[in-house]
Amino acid sequence: MEEKIKSLEKAFEEDCQKAATPKEFEFLRIKYLGRSSRLSQFFSQLPNLIPQERGIWGKRLNCLKQKMTALLANEARGPLKDEENFDLTFPSSPFQLGSRHILTTVNQKICSIFENLGFAVAEGGEIEDEWHNFTALNIPLEHPSRDVFDTFYLDIKEKNNGKYLLRSHTSPSQTRIMKIGKPPLAVISPGRVYRPDEVDATHSFMFHQIEGFAVGEDLNFAHLKGVLLHFAHKFFTPEITLRFRPHFFPFTEPSAEVDISCFVCRRKKEKGASRDTLHASRKCSVCKGKGWLEVLGCGMIHPQVLDNCEIDSKKYKGFAFGMGVERIAMLKYGIGDIRLFYENDVRFLEQFSI
Amino acid sequence: MRFSLNFIKEFLEVKVSAQKLASLLTMAGMEVERLEKLGGDWVFDIEVTSNRYDWLSILGIAQEAAACLNKKAKVKYPLLLKKPLLKERKIIIEDSKDCPLYIARVMRDITINRSPSWLGERVLNCGLNSINNIVDITNYSMLKWGNPLHAFDEDKIEGNIYIRRAQKEELFAGIDGKQRILQKENLVIADEKKVIALAGVMGGKNSEVDKNTKNVFIEAAIFSPLTIRRSARAAGLDTESSYRFQRRVSADCLEYACAEASKLIQDLGGGRLSGYKEAGRKPMPVRRKIAISLIQLNTFLGDNFSLGIVKSILSRLNFTVKNVSRDKIFVLVPCSRFDIKREVDIYEEFARIYGYEKIRPQIPFLVSQLRDTGYPQAGLYQFKNDLRNFLSFLGLREIITYSIEGGQDLTKLGERNAINILNPLREQENVLRSGLLLGMIKSIKYNLNRAKNNLRFFELANVYKVSEDGYQEKPCLSLAATGEGDNFFYLKGAMEEILRYLNTKAFQFKEASLTNFTHALEIIVNKKRVGFLGKLDEKIKKMFDLKENLFFAQLDVSFLMQSKEDKSYKPFSPYPVIFRDISIALRKDIKFKQIENIIRENTKGYLSGYYIVSTYQGKDLDENLTAFTLRISYQSKEKTLTSHEVDSLHGSIREKLNEAEGVILR
Repeated sequence: MEEKIKSLEKAFEEDCQKAATPKEFEFLRIKYLGRSSRLSQFFSQLPNLIPQERGIWGKRLNCLKQKMTALLANEARGPLKDEENFDLTFPSSPFQLGSRHILTTVNQKICSIFENLGFAVAEGGEIEDEWHNFTALNIPLEHPSRDVFDTFYLDIKEKNNGKYLLRSHTSPSQTRIMKIGKPPLAVISPGRVYRPDEVDATHSFMFHQIEGFAVGEDLNFAHLKGVLLHFAHKFFTPEITLRFRPHFFPFTEPSAEVDISCFVCRRKKEKGASRDTLHASRKCSVCKGKGWLEVLGCGMIHPQVLDNCEIDSKKYKGFAFGMGVERIAMLKYGIGDIRLFYENDVRFLEQFSI
Repeated sequence: MRFSLNFIKEFLEVKVSAQKLASLLTMAGMEVERLEKLGGDWVFDIEVTSNRYDWLSILGIAQEAAACLNKKAKVKYPLLLKKPLLKERKIIIEDSKDCPLYIARVMRDITINRSPSWLGERVLNCGLNSINNIVDITNYSMLKWGNPLHAFDEDKIEGNIYIRRAQKEELFAGIDGKQRILQKENLVIADEKKVIALAGVMGGKNSEVDKNTKNVFIEAAIFSPLTIRRSARAAGLDTESSYRFQRRVSADCLEYACAEASKLIQDLGGGRLSGYKEAGRKPMPVRRKIAISLIQLNTFLGDNFSLGIVKSILSRLNFTVKNVSRDKIFVLVPCSRFDIKREVDIYEEFARIYGYEKIRPQIPFLVSQLRDTGYPQAGLYQFKNDLRNFLSFLGLREIITYSIEGGQDLTKLGERNAINILNPLREQENVLRSGLLLGMIKSIKYNLNRAKNNLRFFELANVYKVSEDGYQEKPCLSLAATGEGDNFFYLKGAMEEILRYLNTKAFQFKEASLTNFTHALEIIVNKKRVGFLGKLDEKIKKMFDLKENLFFAQLDVSFLMQSKEDKSYKPFSPYPVIFRDISIALRKDIKFKQIENIIRENTKGYLSGYYIVSTYQGKDLDENLTAFTLRISYQSKEKTLTSHEVDSLHGSIREKLNEAEGVILR
């Protein structure tokens, strides 16, 4: 018996030395440990032995089995059979991903920058009355200052003989919140707005704006600049410079339009910016060679607007700003046509997964 | 407005380059949108904000440029010759509110010619056409002083001049050659027999100066801005003249403008002044006096300016500044600056000439108390944002579609009580939608047409409808799926996931019959219908030429927000889960709900969950049956279940199922 076992052990060791590939080791496993292996034949002879011998040989066989198993397990680590020719260059599995719309992502990015400064976010309704959209904001009826705010009017009767309309900007959120809230206030209000503009690459009858405002006892113009500078640095890049250009809005005084230095061509770094701004020979496609990109309008809330909303303009001051989300998204991501936002082409949507 | 640098240089010494000037003006608020070299001149194209009527004149621009350059503009005022008086005609103003002042100058024996080159150039470089010496002179005066003038052919006027409202359906042919039917909104200049001009907007063809004109009647007037605005709008016209009158014109410059025009006609057209007449009264020039405090200016701007710098900057703008005390100053505003009314206006004037750039930015400490205001929309933004994130985790893509749709399409979908737009741009966009289905159909179709399939979309947007107390606007969520897979149950699952995410405990699906859909379910939470889902009806599919089946769901976001419940940790059982499979063939008229009920009633609190492992669709299967394998998981919260316990539990379920009608165990 012992001889037979020894010869088996020897044969196994020799075979193991010759074997090299996982496939060959798998072959050995079947040959020496499989159901019809010699080892298994030995085991099957055990019941025929007398009890004393049965114990001894049983131990001996088990020892050998363990040894062989361990050795093969060590050697045969590589992929088995089918896995040997596993093609790692095969294409990866497709994922069905979801995505947020780029406009809501940009919207949220902008809002969260202001939230971190202490602003609360509140949305307003899209259907508005003339008082909140115009009158309270110091935009009188039939006044040239209303010309820039072409507006969709709605076929709904209002009790006070006024007209309902689709808000033409997000500023009515400001008047609504100021009317019911007590200062100090710091609110950011995003949402859809509407103007009867023919649709083309840069115009849409529906677009998104973000309005922000703060009212307090000691807020000033320097604060407005600081808040917007912080926003531009966070949202675009800290290398950006801001230009506050005096402008006119009926609801703010002083008012400004804010330009950021063109982050594409960085023309602002060149000396004598004015020469480049207005007469650039090689025009940057984003800023059209001007070196500056208009991104928002802002100003100190007009005291008349505060008074209209029953906030004492002698005691309180405030600042406000507003920006177009589409425009900012177009600038930041180099999107050339506003219509892409509303076509919902998957090839567009999938580029901005969350 | 376009202006020429050479024109400015008549009144102001400009030593800096055109580019530098453009940059200075831009940073003072007069945005130069384009700068162009034209021969020996530079043409500036500026944006004139609606508060600055004074920038609609070369002199006003020169004043602004002077303030920027810290110089003074020099203006020579013409002699105001008012004789001899015009005797042949009367000037009758019907309503002084429409026209406070009207001045006529009749020039005789003129020769119509081409303008001398300097005059032609001035007019051309400011963006107007050069016509002839007389027309160019009136335009030159308008450009320079900001007061639009009009030259009539004196010999074409019959009798007295009337400044009156148009009679109903009165006809008027403008110099643009177009015939217009006038309304009461239109203010006209008329003689005894006809309308000779649409006041402040456009002259008439019947009284136009032509090459044979010998005598001209020069009109200079003040018209009410609102009257001209309405009149121009009613006539569908927007002219250089109406543009200026709408914003108001200066009464002070009026006399100079027409006196200079008549002088120029004499010099260039060889005529003589044969008659002067004015009607109405010149509005009294008002110089506003505004007291400001230096401390307040500094707290408003957030800086620490000295009285000296404030005074020097304001005087550059021709404001007269008087000291009252160490802190208080009186500012006397030039008559031309109607836009300066109160302290803040002065702050802005100071700040923009001083330079917004130079005010150092600061970060304020902001306290927002919006929570206490009870603002109705509070919290909604955050809720919608979280929902967006969750839905994109589920694998859906967010879309944004127009809120304004074509009424015809919405009617096809049976939308009622939708809100109409009174002044739509096109018929395709004339109604506010009352549901999100149409936008979804369009987006899905757009992508299917571009060979994109297996679409999973969602949109969060408001819907609107007329209600008893006016209107209703509420946020909604729509979900849609097309393509491979069992999309109905995909959407049903998505809705369950949403409610689970919101931690809403009691929700149930109820079969419903809905327009536009077959196989529709409603979701009920706390007895309220929160939303629905369904398969789009074949008819609707055809109507919109949709090539794939569309599964659509819509949920009311406000209800969702209300049904959201706070989350807290729920301990889970540490004992193992044991499962058993059961293969069932179910008669098609029996609902799965029955099986669900049997399972729930017979698991004695040991049910951990169940799901369909596989469905069977062999040929040998009776077509009235649905076959599937259900995997039921058992778990106890208190102990490890033995396989014997599970087997007996599972066995009793099998028994009960076997007894149930229409259920065949396989």
